[in-house]
Amino acid sequence: MAEFLQLTLSGISFGMVYAAIALSLVLIWRGTRVLNYAQGGMAMFTTFIAIEVIYRTHNYWAGFVVALAAGLVLGAICELTVIRPTLSRPPLNAVIVTIGLLILLEGLAGILFGGQFRSFPAAFSITGLKVGGTALGVSRFDVFVVAAVLATTLVLAVVFKYTSAGLRMRATAFNATIAQLSGIRVARVLTVGWALAGLLGALAGVLVSPSTFLYPNSMDIIFVYGFTAAVIGGLDSPAGAVVGGLLLGLALSYVGGYVGGSVGSELTSLVAFGILIAVLMIRPDGLFAGARMRRV
Amino acid sequence: MSNGPDGSSAGADHIPVSADDTAREGDGAGLTGRAAPLEVQDLVAGYGGVTALHGVTVTAGAGAITAVLGANGAGKTTLLRAVSGMIKPRRGRVLLDGTDVAGRGPEQIVRAGIAHVPEGHGVIAELTVEENLRIGMMSWPSRLARRRAPESQRADRAAALDEEFARFKPLADRRRKLASTLSGGERQMLVIARALLARPRVLLLDEPSLGLAPRVMAQVMDLVVRLSRERGLTIVLVEQNARSALSIADHGFVLNLGRVVASADAPTLAADVALRHHYLGF
Amino acid sequence: MWTLPRRLGVIIVLAAIVVFLSVKLNAFRDYQIAEIAVYVTAIAGLTVLTGLSGQISLGNGAFMAIGAYTTALLLLHLSWPFYAVLVVAAAITAVSGAVVGIAAARLRGPYLAGATLMLGVALPSIAYAWPGVFGGDQGLNVVFTTPSFLGANFPLTRWQAWVCAAVALVTLLLLGNLGHSRIGRNWRAVRDDDVAAALDGVNVAAARIRAFVVSATSAGLAGALLAILTGLVAPGAYTITLSIALLTGAVIGGLGSLAGALWGSLVIVLVPTYATDVATSHGLSSSVGANIPIVAYGVVLILVMLVFPQGIQGGLRRIMIAFFGPNQKSRTWRTAPANNVTPSADTLLISGDETLSPPEPPDKPTSQHEKEGTS
Repeated sequence: MAEFLQLTLSGISFGMVYAAIALSLVLIWRGTRVLNYAQGGMAMFTTFIAIEVIYRTHNYWAGFVVALAAGLVLGAICELTVIRPTLSRPPLNAVIVTIGLLILLEGLAGILFGGQFRSFPAAFSITGLKVGGTALGVSRFDVFVVAAVLATTLVLAVVFKYTSAGLRMRATAFNATIAQLSGIRVARVLTVGWALAGLLGALAGVLVSPSTFLYPNSMDIIFVYGFTAAVIGGLDSPAGAVVGGLLLGLALSYVGGYVGGSVGSELTSLVAFGILIAVLMIRPDGLFAGARMRRV
Repeated sequence: MSNGPDGSSAGADHIPVSADDTAREGDGAGLTGRAAPLEVQDLVAGYGGVTALHGVTVTAGAGAITAVLGANGAGKTTLLRAVSGMIKPRRGRVLLDGTDVAGRGPEQIVRAGIAHVPEGHGVIAELTVEENLRIGMMSWPSRLARRRAPESQRADRAAALDEEFARFKPLADRRRKLASTLSGGERQMLVIARALLARPRVLLLDEPSLGLAPRVMAQVMDLVVRLSRERGLTIVLVEQNARSALSIADHGFVLNLGRVVASADAPTLAADVALRHHYLGF
Repeated sequence: MWTLPRRLGVIIVLAAIVVFLSVKLNAFRDYQIAEIAVYVTAIAGLTVLTGLSGQISLGNGAFMAIGAYTTALLLLHLSWPFYAVLVVAAAITAVSGAVVGIAAARLRGPYLAGATLMLGVALPSIAYAWPGVFGGDQGLNVVFTTPSFLGANFPLTRWQAWVCAAVALVTLLLLGNLGHSRIGRNWRAVRDDDVAAALDGVNVAAARIRAFVVSATSAGLAGALLAILTGLVAPGAYTITLSIALLTGAVIGGLGSLAGALWGSLVIVLVPTYATDVATSHGLSSSVGANIPIVAYGVVLILVMLVFPQGIQGGLRRIMIAFFGPNQKSRTWRTAPANNVTPSADTLLISGDETLSPPEPPDKPTSQHEKEGTS
């Protein structure tokens, strides 16, 4: 029972990281219809920037804030320079461009920060919490991970639903033509969308790097799982991204924990694949596919 | 009537009410000698390898309803798209009160004063009625540009919204509902109301009656007439249904294969049986 | 223009070039020729899948792995001659392609991308899970020697280059035939508008599955070639990086074009090597030197896509048209969907997923369902 609890809570914690990546992908997909394969790479890059700041200032929160800011900036820069020209081109071009961006960022990180594995500090203690005398199997840091992602998601949801800027973004995502004809500066909206996605990715990076160590390729598998979570939830649905992330995090945690030995850890990607196929067989557009109406 | 966003009363709201006056102003500079609100000159435009407009000249008189008619593929929709900036003209000019806006993007052109209601009920189904309308006000100058307190801007927008809701009661009833729940006629009302909120000088309507039941179609046409007469709005109306368009229009242009083949006031066009049969299908 | 005799002619010329180069150049270059041939085989299949039938796959590396492991296991346990092994590898990957194709038949766009991505990630891990059979991390060794009729002094690398090139060229020929056949026309119809194709009587699901089978088989053959080329089949060589490289090669070269498969393979094999050479010759420190080629490769990908939106083959075509005028009787198959609007010149809109095209007359059903990501 204690093991179940621990696996559950740990699954939720990782699941939130996948959800953050998934959310950033959904944000970009809804706004620009581009799948950003560089999302993990961008997150890795901003996390490296964070570690350098932390190293120099001996202040974790300075690094944290800088990472998020760098995420905003990096997202905006990528959209303006490299992605914008692809929007009027065949869609697969954007795929290759983002892949090129990913490779570029990984190489750049290797040059600027070195290729060795670096350890990244956690925001809070990672020792297990106890209630009374019983170990909960989760640490303060795990709680922080969940809280941070949830808080960011809620803030974004509020911004989207209740602010004028959010309305602009939703209108652009649902129907960019009408939005433009109504005077919305769609180009700016797209840049902001990418900036916000960059922020979410940066958050995911600093939250997960204490567990994975930080090196140029460290976010690759996180990206894959985040992408899978987004697909499971439905690429047009932010709620789906969160649900997909949690689902995946929990499933992978249980498999890794209960199926013992090396087979268990090797099977995680197969399990993820299995879940993905199972969901897509039933709902080819993801679990929350109905959220978006297809215009015929 | 309220003033436009920049505080002036130029634009849509105060032109004479009598039908005679508006009819006389129907084609171009007319009595006053001022430039027509909208003049399209020798416009060439197309899509990729296809040229759809081969040098079209169209004028929309102030406060008049100008119909653009023709068979499918004649270039009517392309014309509106080129005027509003959805596609970029390859040659030619689009003069709004004398200023050439051809080649600008749609965001700029709507700010300059041309609102386009594209064909096919362009409501954003996933948003509420009120949100759809708010989008119409996104072309208003920004808070910073106007240097007015946010309070009064918010009040302006709320007042504008209330005005549209007063004018379009069915929309008011459904203001917090998703636009997807509206009927065809209500959606058309919504997109027109949204376009009006942009406080345009010129309103482009692309097939507003498409897909509507005859009774609803009549209501929409009534609305268009009222917009022109009561608000003095300059309207360019593209219609497949030439008969009903000519019944409310002041002037008409007939397009065929991307060229203007006829230009006359509406009664003359309606009376020309050969023209009607050949190009307009009735 | 690309009639069968002409295609055959090109193939023969290419074969002659390969033989010539393999004799003239050194062993390392022979190895590169073989490597390029491997990629051509795999990318040709993928470009047909994505460019002609409109289905994106980020997991064809998995099919290469299946072909490679089949080859290694057969050679190891049964010592069959290589051509027999090739046939079996092709058959097994064809079946796996059918399975994947059936599972993926209803998936579109990013959902298909996600599913195939996960396939590419997950499949190699089977090798880790059952190390007894698949050799785990270390992989399986493959022994491949020159046949006796060539004599004792015939260099192995040259023979490898010949074998790989032969398979690649045959694959190109067969795929070319398919592309120009009714099957190919059906694929393009399904890609352009599957609703219209279905109304026309095309069995859409069958066409899509067929495309997966074809691309998987090509990849499987490529995997078999890679096995005998590198002498080792280990999961580390068949990661998602490989799948992504295949797609990259297909798009860079020119999606839907067999010539594009060649250009893409050249880029994938030669650019990183060239960049590494430049870096080492400048004596850069190891962390910088190892990463410069990576940065260069990323930059090349981005630049080619921005400058040549239709890939290298598209760019070449534009140059040819500029010099020689449009080729009226060109019978290369259409690599772009029929209703493709080349927007940027005309549209000022950033139009999300709506393509701005000449308006349909009201009585025809306007289908704007989401399309696969093809040019």
